[in-house]
Amino acid sequence: MMGPPGSGKSMLASRLPGILPPLTEEEALQSAAVRSVAGLSFDVAEWQRRPFRAPHHTASGAALVGGGGQPRPGEISLAHNGVLFLDELPEFDKRVLEVLREPMETGRILISRAARQAEFPADFQLVAAMNPCPCGYANDAARACAGCSRELAARYQRRISGPLRDRIDIQIEVPGLPRQDLLDGMQRKAEDSACVRARVLAAWQRQLTRQGGANARLQQDDMTRHCALPAAGQQLLAGAIDKLGLSARALHRILRVARTIADLDASTGIEPHHLSEAIGYRRLDRA
Amino acid sequence: MAFASTVCRAAVGVTAPAVNVETHLANGLPAFNIVGLPEKAVQESRDRVRSALINSGFEFPARRITVNLAPADLPKQGSRFDLAIAVGILIASGQLPEHAAEGYELIGELSLAGALRPVNGILPMALATRARDAGLILPAENLDEATLVNGIALYPAAHLLAVTGHLSRQQPLQAAAGGAC
Repeated sequence: MMGPPGSGKSMLASRLPGILPPLTEEEALQSAAVRSVAGLSFDVAEWQRRPFRAPHHTASGAALVGGGGQPRPGEISLAHNGVLFLDELPEFDKRVLEVLREPMETGRILISRAARQAEFPADFQLVAAMNPCPCGYANDAARACAGCSRELAARYQRRISGPLRDRIDIQIEVPGLPRQDLLDGMQRKAEDSACVRARVLAAWQRQLTRQGGANARLQQDDMTRHCALPAAGQQLLAGAIDKLGLSARALHRILRVARTIADLDASTGIEPHHLSEAIGYRRLDRA
Repeated sequence: MAFASTVCRAAVGVTAPAVNVETHLANGLPAFNIVGLPEKAVQESRDRVRSALINSGFEFPARRITVNLAPADLPKQGSRFDLAIAVGILIASGQLPEHAAEGYELIGELSLAGALRPVNGILPMALATRARDAGLILPAENLDEATLVNGIALYPAAHLLAVTGHLSRQQPLQAAAGGAC
């Protein structure tokens, strides 16, 4: 999520666990086991809630993925089956961010030290927020950027490396709201998490009945079966590959996102507008 | 018999491999040694166990005590072995019946007065204990966490005396079934 300060990025991220489908008992036990090993207290009444971890941007690599002479789980393992939220993503140390690459693909982390090894589960959903430039107001309608050159803004955004960007399925801009919307919002009641959650649960149920798991877990064989595209969709995708130079991974990720959008829409097949929405979410690829 | 074997659990990642705590009382100069790659907190368990036994009214045997944590090549850390070591000494010295701890796994840190203190990582241990179909004796403060595991017999105890009362069948502990939530 990219946007000026105060536009609601952190607020959105912290609401995410509230709309996610509940943990199965086995998943909850896995997450609780990691907490238990880390020596963190937990509230038994809330043990089936999905975890939400938001480490500060001064976190070290070992704090994120785990480590130590006696290997201990890091933030990504504590966020197992839940959400890992990295606020101010470019402020994180570059090397720290790169350690996230492998666990994001495999869903687990093997910590190897001279004396011993330990493997921890790390199947998390990454959510990150950033400003478009150091002052925060590049491309903002209401407020002028305090003299960040295009070059400076581009350099700021480049702190997120290509390989990491490639692994982020949904890249969106969160613009600041114009005055009228802000004032209207105070009177009108917006849709609350419970309504959104109902929609998510319906889509989740569709995924479970179709393939017995989340769309994000779809493997190659299942994808050819469940993510078949109509002719118009094929064309659209071909165009996107040429224009954006998509990697094989990005392509698969787009298909999974498109499948999810179709599920939210209660549609059995992926329609072209589902696909174009999914492609539209890879905003940083275009920058 | 001057030998006893009790079961505790180590921590490797999110797994909890079983550790056999073997206790042997031999003749010779009084000594108390722990072998089997014990780290600092496990070494210090000697002092906690000695004081806890004496302050709970037991006799600390003035013999050559060797405690082996098997498998010996797995590094052990933390204070969770205290209870298994203390019960091992009690059985080896005849202060508890020979087969008293069979079918149980013992986990907990001891205070010098003999009270049981909570330890980290109870949940993986409880899961592993269930797989072996044994009863788990654990500090009362860890009970909430362990009840997340379905179908396991849990025996929460607050003091070493409560554990020995249970193992000698004189004053059985209240069993708590897992899966309370």
